[in-house]
Amino acid sequence: MSEIRLTVNGAKRVVTVDDDTPLVWVLRDTLALTGTKFGCGMGVCGSCTILENGKAVRSCQIPAIEAKGRNFVTIEGLSRDASHPCQRAWIEEDVAQCGFCQPGMILTACGLLREHPDPSDQEIDAAMSDSVCRCGTYPRMRKAIRRAAAALRARKP
Amino acid sequence: MITSRRAFLKTAALGGASLVVAFDGRRLLGAGKEAAGQFKPNGWVRVDADGTVTLTIGKSDMGQGVRTSLAMILADELEADWSRIKLVQASPGPDFKRLGTGGSFSLAGSWKTLRQAGAAAREMLITAAAARWKVDRAACSAAKGEVFHSASKRSLKYGALVADAAKLPIQADPPLKKASDFRLIGKPTKRIDGRDVVTGAARYGIDTKIPGMLYASIERPPWRGAKPKSLQDAKALAIRGVRLVPCASGTAVVGETTWAALKGRAALAVDWGDPPKDAFDSEAHFKRLDEASEQKGFVTRKDDAPAGTRVAARTIYASYFYPFYAHAPVETMNCVADVREDRCIIWAPTQAPNSLQEKVATFLGTTPEKVEVHVTLIGGGFGRRLAVDYALEAAEISRAVKAPVQVLWTRADDTRYGHFQAASAHRLSAGLDSTDALVAWRHTKAGSLHNLELPDPAAVRDAGFYQDLSWGVYDVPYAIPSIETAYVTVNLPVRHGPWRSVFAPSSVFAREAFIDEVAHVRGSDPLAFRLELLKGPDTVKAGSLTIDRRRLRRVLEVVREKSGWGAAVATRHGRGVACNIYDGETHIAYVVDVAVDGTGKVRVERVVAAVDCGLVVNPTGVEQQTEGGIIWGISSALMGEITFRGGTAQQATYADYGVARMRDTPAIEVHIVPSEATQPFGMGEPPVPPIAPAIVNAIFAATGKRIRRLPIRPEDLKAV
Repeated sequence: MSEIRLTVNGAKRVVTVDDDTPLVWVLRDTLALTGTKFGCGMGVCGSCTILENGKAVRSCQIPAIEAKGRNFVTIEGLSRDASHPCQRAWIEEDVAQCGFCQPGMILTACGLLREHPDPSDQEIDAAMSDSVCRCGTYPRMRKAIRRAAAALRARKP
Repeated sequence: MITSRRAFLKTAALGGASLVVAFDGRRLLGAGKEAAGQFKPNGWVRVDADGTVTLTIGKSDMGQGVRTSLAMILADELEADWSRIKLVQASPGPDFKRLGTGGSFSLAGSWKTLRQAGAAAREMLITAAAARWKVDRAACSAAKGEVFHSASKRSLKYGALVADAAKLPIQADPPLKKASDFRLIGKPTKRIDGRDVVTGAARYGIDTKIPGMLYASIERPPWRGAKPKSLQDAKALAIRGVRLVPCASGTAVVGETTWAALKGRAALAVDWGDPPKDAFDSEAHFKRLDEASEQKGFVTRKDDAPAGTRVAARTIYASYFYPFYAHAPVETMNCVADVREDRCIIWAPTQAPNSLQEKVATFLGTTPEKVEVHVTLIGGGFGRRLAVDYALEAAEISRAVKAPVQVLWTRADDTRYGHFQAASAHRLSAGLDSTDALVAWRHTKAGSLHNLELPDPAAVRDAGFYQDLSWGVYDVPYAIPSIETAYVTVNLPVRHGPWRSVFAPSSVFAREAFIDEVAHVRGSDPLAFRLELLKGPDTVKAGSLTIDRRRLRRVLEVVREKSGWGAAVATRHGRGVACNIYDGETHIAYVVDVAVDGTGKVRVERVVAAVDCGLVVNPTGVEQQTEGGIIWGISSALMGEITFRGGTAQQATYADYGVARMRDTPAIEVHIVPSEATQPFGMGEPPVPPIAPAIVNAIFAATGKRIRRLPIRPEDLKAV
C-alpha cells in the first residue's frame, strides 16, 4: 500500500492502493472514472487506453507505483463538451455500435494524430490494429480519423 | 423447457406478446399511477408538462442500435420532437413480461405495437387540443411535438396538453400513419446516445458501482467434473480483505477492489490433476461429426423430382467442416447482485432480463417480483448474453457474503468458459443429368442436439425442431427437382448455444461453397448459375418459411452490377459470390475480392453487399450492421477457432483467439435494395452467414484451391 499522487484530467489526485494495482483499476474503482474500460488486462485489446502527454498508453500495463507524479488524460477529460475533433468525428461518422471499445479507440486515434497529423492508410492501420472492436466498426473509424485529422490541421494555423 | 430455436427466441427471449401487455399498460397500471403533470397512455410513452417525451426501450442495446431505431418508430407515430426525446430502459415487471433481445427479431417483433403505442398517444393529444379549442378534431394535426389547427393558425405544444390528455380514454385501435408521411423512419439517423459513448458517460454492466460493493473473480474447473487435488490458499488470503467463497461455478475470490480479487485468484495454487482419458477433444469430435454426416438422420426436407426429370448422370460429393467459436465481446461477462433479506437487485448487461429474473428468483427460492433487474448497456452480446450464468453467480456470492457483489470474468474466463458456437460437419452431394442440369441436391448436417438448454424430449421428434437446427440447409432457395436435407445429432459435452446468426453460418458456408463447386464442375459462372437456379416459381415453401426468390435474385443482380462482376482480376486475386435468405426474411448477397499472397495469407480487399431487409427504419443502422457482420465473418473465416484438448478450451485471449483488426478491414460498399415489404426485418445477424462462403469462393477463383474447413489456414494456400 502506498499513497500515490498523480494528475488525472488536470486534477491532482491522491490514492492509497496496493503498489501493483494496474492504473486501469485505480481509475475505475478508486477514482470512479469508468470511461476507461477493462477488456483483457494484458495490453492486447486497447480498451483501457489513456493519454500521457498526448501519447496513447495502456492503463492496464502501468502499476500504480509507476504512475506516481505522472499526468494522464482519460476519455472523461478529453474535452468538457464532446468538442474534441476526434469526439466530433466519431459522432459525425456514426462510428459506435456497442460503443464499449470506443473510448480506447478515440484516445488511440488522438495519439496517432499527434504523431501523424495527416496519416496514411498504413499509419492508421499500424496505430489502430493493436486494438479490438468486436462489432467491427473499423471502416467508420477510418473515416472518422481522416475527418478528425482534417479538423485538427485546420485548427492549427 | 425450451422446445426449439424459434420457440426459444420468439417466446422465451422475445417480446411480441409482452408488447401487447405493455400497450394496455394504462389499464393495468390504472390512471392513479400517472403522476400529476404527466401523460402516460401506455408502457412506452410518457409526456411531461415541460414537453419532454420519455420513451421506453424494451430491447437490450448491444451495438445493434435498437435504442435509436425503436425510438424512431415510437417518435414518428407520436409526432414527437426528436430533440426532446429521452429514453428509459424497461425492467421486467407487470408491464414488461417478455423482454429479451435475440434472433434479429427486435424490429419485426416491435414494429406494429410500438406504432400503435405512439399513435394512441398522438391521437389523445390531438383530441385534447381540439377540445380545448372547441374545434372539429379532424381539422387538427400533430407534428414535431405540437398540435396544430391550421384554419385558426393556432398551435399547442404537447407539454401544455398533458393534463387534459391524461383524462381521456385510451383509443383501442388508433389510426397509423401512411408510410409516405413518415418523418423519421427511413432517414439516416445518428445514434441517440452517441455523445455518451464518446465522452465515457455511457454506463455498461461493468461500470455499475454500488456503495459497499465487493468484487469477485471465480476460479473455475478446467474440464467438466474437475475436482481440485489440492488448493493452496494462504497467499490469496494474505491479501487484505480477500476471502474465498465456494460456489457452484468454482471458488470465488472476493475482495474489496477488482484488483484484490484478481490478485487473490492469481495467488491461488490449484492442482487439478490430469483430465480423464475421455475428456472432450475437438479433433475426435470432428471425426464423430464426419462419420455421423454419412448417416440418414432426421429428414428436414424432401422434394421428390417431378415425373419426367432426367436421372443424374454423375454425382459430386463434398464434406465441409465448421469449427467452434467463442463470442469474445470486449466487455467480459459481469453482473452486480445485491441480495438482501427480502429482495434482490441485479444490474446486468443481459439480452434476457425476464429469463434472468425468473432464474435468479428460482435460485434464491423467491418469486420474480422480489428480483429487481436493471438492464445496462451491453459491450457486445452476440447471443452470449442470452444465458444468465454470470447473474446466478453474482446472486450466489452476494447471498453468501451478505453484501452487493460484482462478478467479473477475466478475458481467459470469457474465452474458455462461455457457451460456444457448436462445430458441425456437412455432407453434400449434387446430381447432374446428361445435359449437366442440377437435378438432385443432398445436404446432411451433423451437429449438436441443442442450443444452450436441453430440448423437450417430445420436440426432438418434430421436423420443425430439426429445421431450426438446420437453417441454411433445409431452406436451400434454389430450384432443384430433387432435394433431400437431413440432420444428425452428435452428443456435445461442452456448453454451446446461440452465437451471432446461430445455426446459419455453418450451413450457409457449406451450401454456398458447394453450389460454387457445382458451378465450376459445369463450367458455369457461379453468379449466373445461382440466378439460373432462382428461376421458376417466385415463392416456394420450406418448412414454415416462404422463400422469395425474386428478392434473392434482385440482391444478386445488384452485386453483379455494382462489383463489376466478370471483369479480369490480377494473378492470385479472385472474386467470389454468396447469398442467403435469413429466416425467410432478410435477403443478402455479397461479392468479395481477395488477394492470396505467396505464403498463403488471404487478404479480403473489397466486399460489395446488397441488402433487402424489408422496410428500412434507419439506413445508417443497416449499413453499420452489414459492415459489422462482414467483419465478424472475416474473423471466423480467417482467424480464431476454439479447440479443446483434455476437456479444456485451448485459447484464452485475443492473441490466441484472433479477431479481425483494422488492418484486416476491406473496403465495404453497402447497397440497400428497395423492398416492397411493409415492415422491417432484422439486421443484427443476417449479414454474417454469406461472408465466409463468399471468401472461400473468391479464394478458389484466385488459387484453384477449394477450402472446405474453417478457419482458412495459410498452409493450405501456399503458392506451389
